[in-house]
Amino acid sequence: MKYSYLILITLITLFAGCNQSTDSEKNKANKIVIGISMLSMQNEFIVNINDEMLKKAQELGAELIIVDAEHSSLKQIEQIESFIAQKVDVIILNPCEYEASSPAVAKALAANIPIVNVNSATKIAPTAFVGSNDLESGKIAMKFIAEQLGGKGNIVMIQGLNGQAAQIQREEGAKEILKEYPGLKLIAQQTAEWDRSKSMDLMQNWIQSYGIKINAVFAHNDEMGLGAVKALQDAGMKDKVIVVSIDAIADALRAVKKGDLDATVFQDAKRQGAGAIETAVKIAKGQKVEKELMIPFQLVTKATIKAYLK
Amino acid sequence: MQYINNIRQYGLLIVFGIICLIISLITPQFLTISNLTIIVTQVSINALLAFGVTFVIITGGIDLSLGSIVAVSGVTSAMLAHPDSYPVLIPIIMGLLAGLLMGAFNGFIITKSKIAPFIVTLGTMTIGRGLALILSDGRPVSNLSDSFNYLGSGTVLGIPVLILIFILVFVLCSIILNKTILGRYIYAIGGNEQAARASGINIDRVKLSVYSISGLLAGLAGILLASRITTGQPNAGAGFELDAIAAVVIGGTSTAGGRGTMAGTLIGVLLIGVINNGLDLLNVTSYYQQVVMGIIIIGAVVLDSLNQKSTS
Repeated sequence: MKYSYLILITLITLFAGCNQSTDSEKNKANKIVIGISMLSMQNEFIVNINDEMLKKAQELGAELIIVDAEHSSLKQIEQIESFIAQKVDVIILNPCEYEASSPAVAKALAANIPIVNVNSATKIAPTAFVGSNDLESGKIAMKFIAEQLGGKGNIVMIQGLNGQAAQIQREEGAKEILKEYPGLKLIAQQTAEWDRSKSMDLMQNWIQSYGIKINAVFAHNDEMGLGAVKALQDAGMKDKVIVVSIDAIADALRAVKKGDLDATVFQDAKRQGAGAIETAVKIAKGQKVEKELMIPFQLVTKATIKAYLK
Repeated sequence: MQYINNIRQYGLLIVFGIICLIISLITPQFLTISNLTIIVTQVSINALLAFGVTFVIITGGIDLSLGSIVAVSGVTSAMLAHPDSYPVLIPIIMGLLAGLLMGAFNGFIITKSKIAPFIVTLGTMTIGRGLALILSDGRPVSNLSDSFNYLGSGTVLGIPVLILIFILVFVLCSIILNKTILGRYIYAIGGNEQAARASGINIDRVKLSVYSISGLLAGLAGILLASRITTGQPNAGAGFELDAIAAVVIGGTSTAGGRGTMAGTLIGVLLIGVINNGLDLLNVTSYYQQVVMGIIIIGAVVLDSLNQKSTS
């Protein structure tokens, strides 16, 4: 047992040594090194942002060190600490949480390493922010429902994982629009934890309890929107119920084209990813950047779908 | 032994009946054919996992890798189930094979290394999640053929295919546990492994079998889940193992091994499904749903153990 600890320690020292040597190589090459901590590489949208970052970095000749925080803000803080220790030129943070990821931003700023937030915000302001305002997406989705229903009808809302920034803001945005339309009633809301099969189960149960009273469904992401569509189709009710969700993943775009999903809200992974790298490189070169680069959401319906299908 | 088990299930059945009664008194939509069909469909995937892990738990083991196996087999089968690629049997066989192999891997490592099943299957859980992400490149695998999707949403003579598979698997598992030598060995190992070994039972082979069955059924669950939601999701099934284990425990199977029945697990699975459905029908806020579910899990087990004390 003691030997195994010894071996472990030797290995760690060796690896640490390796790291340092590659570091100095990087500095010699004079390439801009960007440390990136991503929310979760199990999330398709985040993976898309990641792919765009890699493309842009290759174009601009920057070197990326990408790590996955696996939804843990604690892990994310540790990753930023290690970036600081590695003395990267710029850090890009794709925050796990609004409050809990803030210390990561504070640490980078304290170490005089510029930090760019991508996709979502933290309480402590970073050097620059590239992303979209989730409140907006909830508003766009609910506005579409309100218009389709002529300002009158019953709506059910399928929420993301309770307590996450995206869930809170999408709900708030939707509710702001609901206030403007007194004829619209939110008759039920429940979480399906971003998950398609859970959303399908929930929708089936609601169909049992509310049946034809439901006029529209707003789901906080496409996965859940598609689950609701499936449940409504199985019950033969899809023609009478409007379903709108957010993210514009490939599956959802196909469903909009087929007319199964009435609308989705497009969040521009490409411009977010590319924008973050551009901003980071500019900062590293000492050029001026915008403090906030807001990438607008766009409503995708059957009428506008063509522009989004690759 | 059989007598005590019968009494225990009787108690659980009463709890189940009371809960159904309460829900149906509050909401008239509960006790309708269409709603009951939906409940059974919704629990069928958890049921397959729970039946499989019942064998494992009776031997005194545990399988935490179920959810990850669901993801691996779901992604594997979905990748082979695109329209105009392979006949539908190929994705099904490969999905089952993926589950079987991962289960056998669990069994092999557990029997050869003598490491606790908790740790081995925890490792497989992480490996499996990684494999599912590698296979799918981190993205849902969609655009599946209609014949593949039929498994999860089709019907035969008006009965959903999912329910038919659920019933078939229940009958097969009950027969294995009650009527075969393997079933008797499973109880014997869980009751007293030393004694079982002394009486000449090949412990390793039995353990390898139970983990393989558990993996195979998780593989089947993964295929059905992918078919039901018409995509293979690399992050599907996270936490499924806990729902399955909860159902088994509610069903009166002892986590110490040696005691438990398939019928108990069946009731446990249905109980969880009824509560989930009932709370949705009543539009109980999700925050409260979790608390209620936890209370009912503990309550069912406490009632069950009181019941057991009074009979012994």
